[in-house]
Amino acid sequence: MIKLGASDNKATYDAIVVGSGISGGWAAMELCKKGLKVLLLERGRNVEHVKDYTTAMLNPWDFDLRGNTAAKYKAENPVQSQGTNAGNAHFFVNDTEHPYIQQKPFHWFRGYQVGGRSLTWGRQCYRLSDLDFTANAKEGVAIDWPIRYKDIDPWYSYVERFIGVSGKKENLPQLPDGDYLPALDLNCIENHLDESIRKNSHDRLLTIARVANLSRGWDNRGPCMNRNLCSRGCPFGGYFSSNSSTIPAAMQTGNLTLRPYSVVTEVMFDEQKQKAKGVRIIDTITKENFEYYAKIVFINASTIATAGILLNSKSHRFPNGFGNDSGELGHNLMDHHSAAGAQGAYDGYKDMYYKGRRPCGFLIPRFRNIKGNEGLDFTRGYNIQGHGERSEWMDTMTADGFGVDFKNTLTHPGHWTVWMAGWGECLPYHDNMISLNDTQKDSWGLPLINIDFSFRENENKMMKDIQKTSAEMLTAAGFNNVQTFNYGKPGGDTVHEMGTARMGHDPKTSVLNGNNQIHAAKNVFVTDGSCMTSSASQNPSLTYMALTARACDFAVEELKKGNI
Amino acid sequence: MNRKKAIQSLLALAAVGVSSVSVYKWASDGNAVSIDALPQKKQLIADLADTIIPRTDTPGAKDAHVEDFIIKMIKEIDPKTQRHFLAGLGSLEKYTIDKYDHPFTECTPQQKIAVLKHFEDKATYSIGILNKINNKFLGTPFFNKLKDLTVEGYCTSQLGATQGMAYDYVPVKFVACIPLQKNQKAWATK
Repeated sequence: MIKLGASDNKATYDAIVVGSGISGGWAAMELCKKGLKVLLLERGRNVEHVKDYTTAMLNPWDFDLRGNTAAKYKAENPVQSQGTNAGNAHFFVNDTEHPYIQQKPFHWFRGYQVGGRSLTWGRQCYRLSDLDFTANAKEGVAIDWPIRYKDIDPWYSYVERFIGVSGKKENLPQLPDGDYLPALDLNCIENHLDESIRKNSHDRLLTIARVANLSRGWDNRGPCMNRNLCSRGCPFGGYFSSNSSTIPAAMQTGNLTLRPYSVVTEVMFDEQKQKAKGVRIIDTITKENFEYYAKIVFINASTIATAGILLNSKSHRFPNGFGNDSGELGHNLMDHHSAAGAQGAYDGYKDMYYKGRRPCGFLIPRFRNIKGNEGLDFTRGYNIQGHGERSEWMDTMTADGFGVDFKNTLTHPGHWTVWMAGWGECLPYHDNMISLNDTQKDSWGLPLINIDFSFRENENKMMKDIQKTSAEMLTAAGFNNVQTFNYGKPGGDTVHEMGTARMGHDPKTSVLNGNNQIHAAKNVFVTDGSCMTSSASQNPSLTYMALTARACDFAVEELKKGNI
Repeated sequence: MNRKKAIQSLLALAAVGVSSVSVYKWASDGNAVSIDALPQKKQLIADLADTIIPRTDTPGAKDAHVEDFIIKMIKEIDPKTQRHFLAGLGSLEKYTIDKYDHPFTECTPQQKIAVLKHFEDKATYSIGILNKINNKFLGTPFFNKLKDLTVEGYCTSQLGATQGMAYDYVPVKFVACIPLQKNQKAWATK
C-alpha cells in the first residue's frame, strides 16, 4: 500500500489528511470508511504495527546502557532526551535535525513518524463538560467556544467505543462518564486514600484513571498485558494508537494511500473558487516538490506544526497565512501545567503488595471552582493524577550505607508511597504564541518556528493551591513525611500544546468555526489540538479524536450537498 | 557529622561559589585515574561494587558483572561527575595503600568496608540542602556515583533482576492487592 516517491502516486484525491498522529489517523479512517479516496501525508518514516516496535520485548539488560540514553544522544537532543529513554527514543525527533526557536523556554516533544505521538501518548481519556465549554463566555476570557457538550457527547461515545477505554463511571457533572471497558483496580494504598478523601470531603473522590488500555480484548486487539512499556509500541495491541487501530482500519477499506517522508510546505489556495485546491510537499528522500489536489483538506500536523503550515501558506487572499483573517493564527498557545503536587509515605499495609505493572495511575477529578467563582485567588481548576506503590530499588537506593543490610533493604518492598500532581488549566493568552522566523530556515528551506510561551499568574497561583490541597489530602489520610513539590517545568512539558487556530463564532476573532472549518476556506478542516478555544484541565486527545470524527461526518455531508 | 563540621562544610561551599575553578583543580589532583585507563581498573571497580552489593543467598554485584556497566556509564555521564569519579578512584587507591600497604583488591572484607565507609563519610553532608548544592555545582561525589551505578547496574542485570529481586516479564494480569509472600522480593521493574 505504501507508495514512496510520487511516480506511482496519482495527483488528485477526494481528501488529503496532513499528519498521521492521533487526530490525523482518525480523519483518514473516517473519510476512507465513508468512501472517499484519501491521501494521508506523514513527514516521517513509516512505523508498522508490531513489526517496527523494535524495543518492545527487550529486557532491561538487553540495552547497552540499560534504560539510559548515551551522552552523544543527550547532547544532540537537549529537549527530547528529557522525556525519552533507551526504549522509546526512536519514536522522538532529533532536536539537531529539527530545530525551533525557544523565545522563552519551551519543550516541544515531537514524533515524526507514521502514528506520530499516538505511539507514546499517556492514554488518558477524559471528557470535557459544559463547565469547560462555557467558562470563557462566563468569565469574559478570550472568546466563547462555538460548541457545547451536547454537540460532542455522541462523538465521545463513538470514539470511546472504537478505541476501547477502561474506566469507572462516577456520575460527576464536571467529568462526564463515557462508554467504558471494565476498570483496572486501585491498589491498597490508593483505596485507602480514596476512602479518606470521600470521608473528609463532600465534593472530592479518587477514581482509577480512564485510559485507552484494554482491560479485555477489543477490536482484535489486546488485552493489555500490564507490562507498562506502552511507549515502546505494544506488540499485543494493548493500547490505542493510529498504528494499531485507525490506520489499519483505513487501509482495510482500500481507499487509503499513505505517503511517509512527505513534509507539507503549504496549503494551496484557489483564488477563483475561494477554497483550498490541495497541498504542496517536499519528499524528504528525493528532495523533490510535489502538488496534490483534493476536494477537502484536513490539517492534523499537531498544534504547533499545523499553525506553522498555515502561516507559511501565503496567497493574495491570505497574505498573513491561510485562513488568518482574524490575526489569531499561531496565537493563544496553551499547555497544561503538571509540575506541582505532593508525595508522602504510609506506615501500614506492610503485608500487602501487588502483581503486574498497571499502565496507569489514579485521578482525583476537578473539585475547584465547580460552581463558578469560589473566592479562590485563581480561576478554573485542575485534576490530580498520581499513583500509589511500594518503594522499590529506584527509591530505596537512597538508603544509607552499603553491604548486606543495604542489599536487603534494596531488594525487598519498602513502605507504601503516593505521588500526585495537579494537571491544571492554562488560560488562552493572546501573546503566548508561535510565529515563523524571519531569517532562519530548516533543512527543507522552511522558516523555523519561534515559540514564545510562559505560564502566568493564574497558573502559578493554581500550582500553589495544588500543593496545598494535595498535601492536605495525604495528611488527612495519615501519610507521613508529606512533601510538596513544584518541579518548575517550562511549557510543553505536559505535551498538551493546543489553541493556535482556535474555534469560535466570529471570523474576526477565530480561525475555525464550530465544525472545525476554516471560516474563509470551508473545505479546510483543522481538528488537532490547535482548534481548542480553552484548555480545560483534562488530557485532551480524546477531545481531538471526537472533534475529528464529528468534523469528518460534517465534511462528507457538506460534500454530498455540494456545499464545499 | 557534628555541628562544627557542618559549619565548616557551609563555609567550604560558600568558598566554592567564588572559586569553583580552584576546587576543580583540587578535585582532579594528581591521583586521578585517566578515563582511558578505566578498563584496567575493572577488578578494582568490581570489588568496590561487590562491597556495596555482596553475594548473599542471591548473586552479588560481581556475579552480575556490574563493573562492565559502571565502566560504560562513566564514559556517558556529565564531565563534572566523571572528573569526580576518576579523582575519587585514584584517591581511594592511594588511601588504601597508605593505610594498609596493599591495594584495595587485596584487602580483607573488613578493610574493604572500612575504606568505603571512609569515602561514604567524605561524600555526604548531614544537611540535605548541602548535598543538593554540592551535587549541582560540583557534580555527584565519587562514592555516591559509585553506589548509584552499582545499584542500577545490579538491579537492571539479569541476575540481579531475576534472582536478587522478582522479575515479571509479561505479567498478563494486574492483581491490585495480594498478601506479601514469605521472603517476598521487590519487583525489579515498575
